[in-house]
Amino acid sequence: MHRSYLKTVIMYCVNELQGQRTIYSILHLLNGKKSSQTIQDAHLFQLTPLFRSFGNLSRGVLEHLAEEIINSSWMTAIDEKHYILTAEGKRELERSLLECPIPSSLNGWLYHSTGELFWERITLLIQVISHLNYNNVKYLPIQRKRDVHEWLKDFLRTSGFARNEVGVMLYRELGQCLEKLSEINPAVLTLRLTGYNRIGLTAVQASEQLGISQDYYHHQFLGAIHHILASVRENSAEYPLINKIVSGAGNAVQLTLSAQKTYTLLKQGLDLDDIAKIRRLKKSTIEDHVVEVALNDGGFNITRYVSEEKQKLILHAASSADSLQLKQIRQIVPESDYFEIRLVMAKLGERQ
Amino acid sequence: MTLEALLQSKFGYPAFRPGQKEIIESVLAGRNTVAMLPTGTGKSLCYQLPGYMIEGQVIIISPLLSLMQDQAEQLMMNGEKKVIAFNSFLTRSEKRQALINLNQYKFIFISPEMLYYESVLSQLKKLRIALFVVDEAHCISQWGYDFRPDYLKLGEVRQKIGNPVTLALTATATREVKADIKKSLGILDCSEFIYSVDRPNIALTVEMTDNFRVKTERLVELAESLEGPGIIYFSSKKMAEQSADLLREKGAKRVMAYHGGMDQESRILVQQQFIHGQLDLICATSAFGMGINKDNIRYVIHFHMPLQIESYLQEIGRAGRDGKQSIAIMLYAPGDEQLPIQIAENEFPDKSQIDWISDWMEENPNSILNVGAYEEQIKQRSGLTDIQWRIFNDFFERKIKSGMGYKRILQEMNGYCEDRIKLKRNSIEEVYKWIHKKNCRRENILSCFDEEKNSSVQFCCDRCGLQFENFIRNTKSDNQDRTLYDWRNHLEYLLIPGE
Ligand SMILES: [Zn+2]
Repeated sequence: MHRSYLKTVIMYCVNELQGQRTIYSILHLLNGKKSSQTIQDAHLFQLTPLFRSFGNLSRGVLEHLAEEIINSSWMTAIDEKHYILTAEGKRELERSLLECPIPSSLNGWLYHSTGELFWERITLLIQVISHLNYNNVKYLPIQRKRDVHEWLKDFLRTSGFARNEVGVMLYRELGQCLEKLSEINPAVLTLRLTGYNRIGLTAVQASEQLGISQDYYHHQFLGAIHHILASVRENSAEYPLINKIVSGAGNAVQLTLSAQKTYTLLKQGLDLDDIAKIRRLKKSTIEDHVVEVALNDGGFNITRYVSEEKQKLILHAASSADSLQLKQIRQIVPESDYFEIRLVMAKLGERQ
Repeated sequence: MTLEALLQSKFGYPAFRPGQKEIIESVLAGRNTVAMLPTGTGKSLCYQLPGYMIEGQVIIISPLLSLMQDQAEQLMMNGEKKVIAFNSFLTRSEKRQALINLNQYKFIFISPEMLYYESVLSQLKKLRIALFVVDEAHCISQWGYDFRPDYLKLGEVRQKIGNPVTLALTATATREVKADIKKSLGILDCSEFIYSVDRPNIALTVEMTDNFRVKTERLVELAESLEGPGIIYFSSKKMAEQSADLLREKGAKRVMAYHGGMDQESRILVQQQFIHGQLDLICATSAFGMGINKDNIRYVIHFHMPLQIESYLQEIGRAGRDGKQSIAIMLYAPGDEQLPIQIAENEFPDKSQIDWISDWMEENPNSILNVGAYEEQIKQRSGLTDIQWRIFNDFFERKIKSGMGYKRILQEMNGYCEDRIKLKRNSIEEVYKWIHKKNCRRENILSCFDEEKNSSVQFCCDRCGLQFENFIRNTKSDNQDRTLYDWRNHLEYLLIPGE
């Protein structure tokens, strides 16, 4: 298999995980699995940018690549399915990151769902504008999802921008925003766009035209999208139109369905034991949900579950422990339990 | 307004194609109608145009989701807003919403399995149905190459919704299939419009090659020399991909693969690139081509043997819709018949799988009344593929509802699968014979549909003698775009109105 960029990404993760997690946690991270464990690990090991950045990676491919990495003696097992990089592996990682750096704008955790929606919306919007410009009404939409079409109808009606201005504004905003991309060629995005008499390229075609591997192309593509979203977030006044396109898209807190139910009950003021009883779930499961909520909702206050004082102790322990393993922190602050430590770490990850 | 005037104003066509007007007039006169129009001659117009002349809804039953989606989109592209494709692509809330508002649509496409739901049926009963269209009506027949059990209950559905005027459409139907359609839908007294399956502007050739390697070499040669655009059909996704890669390696830049395993955005893009002339050649599985309106396809090559004459006709029928001379080429190497046989057999659960399920059900009696809920478990342990599971589940659910015990159902399923496989083997045998027969290929195909070749065709087939030069590209097209790509220019082109 030639997927050298993907191998670099895997090695990068292995290096960050320092042998504390199995190789499969990397799979869950890159797939963007919405489980408490994966979400916490992403924060704990500062791998949030990579969250859901290879949604289609399969177990088989990951195992195969891991094997190849081991066979190149870049990685070695320290335990069943736990790996660390060898000295040679670290050098190789450094070398390949110089050649193909992971785009610094990539921010999967924050933008994975907004990004997907943004892409669906903007591609359809551009196609519609382009055909309007040429007074052509007969064309097949590039997006099929009904809700994207509904959104567009709504957008054109209520955005407050005149129809003939939208194209000009979008041209200016996109141009201005993409110009600031330093390490990514804006063509990774624009090659994919469809309009009147000109159909966009598929991801595979675009990567071929740009002469980069499909995997690397994929990260650059996401990186470019996340760059736009971050720019708009930082400076919405400068990008009023794109801001409008993004608004209402995936800003909502993303929780697993089960955690959502727990969250609803939490907001009604019930305590964890009650919720466990009502939902007929184990208390530990409910605790998992609370951690998930803490990770996802920046406004969620954990003081109800961990006193401020204990929070400080745990934070202190986390900064002095040589790894962020819960067990080590617990040894330093024996009066806290794992639930409390996880909650504090969830908030810590967010601050990073 | 005359039919012609409406055709011009609504669809932008100056004249009807053969058969369309007669069929439309029959439907408008309130007669149940069975129409057989060859692929590529505009079947869907036969219900679209009447839709604008009569009050009430047009219900279209369509067997394939992708086909349905394409047809609905064509209508929308034509400016029709009151279209809905009611199928499993919709989310539950979208379905609910659509059901409540059903009477606000003019054209309602429904997949047959949706008709199982009482809620759907009861909404349909409330409508004023102007026309009930059964597309790909050959799916109704056990004799048909594409039999769909869901289609069997269409007659019953038709009765329940008040016997609306019915139009059964198909591209290819033998005598038995035609009889089945009429009987099953309860329209024995219908008008029939049967047009020849022959497409005289498509030359038919089969090329014998010695082995797979030679066949592949010949494919490359053909792709390099034939006048495009063209489609090459494969029976496997992998071969379609690999061949597209190979052709690109050989220097043909504007070639892409197309198959059901690609993500939706890529599929739409490739299809559109082909329609807009950005691609010259598609290496495809049978998933490609349904509902594609591209008039100037000059050749269709089959790299693998098709499973039956009917689907072969459908696929080659995508060539030459503009009436200009085109060619269909089938490449054959000894042993090629093994692949279609394998494909046909793999479609159905085999005896050992069914036996395994029988044992499993004995141990898990709770599953019997609710097999759908055990899909993953059953699939994983018995090794059923998605297609096999669908056939298993359809059959089982239908029978269990009629009160039959599971052991008996599974027994009957064995027999059913054997029968279907036998039927499919016969179809493959028919194609095999057609490949090897020494006389006119067109005559042979026509005889399968009780037709005779009566017109003389200029470029008929390899058996009648054919000069290949007529299909060779005369200009060596330099199709490489040498202008440098500039992302700003592209954005400007897309977003800024021209003068
Ligand atoms: Zn002939």
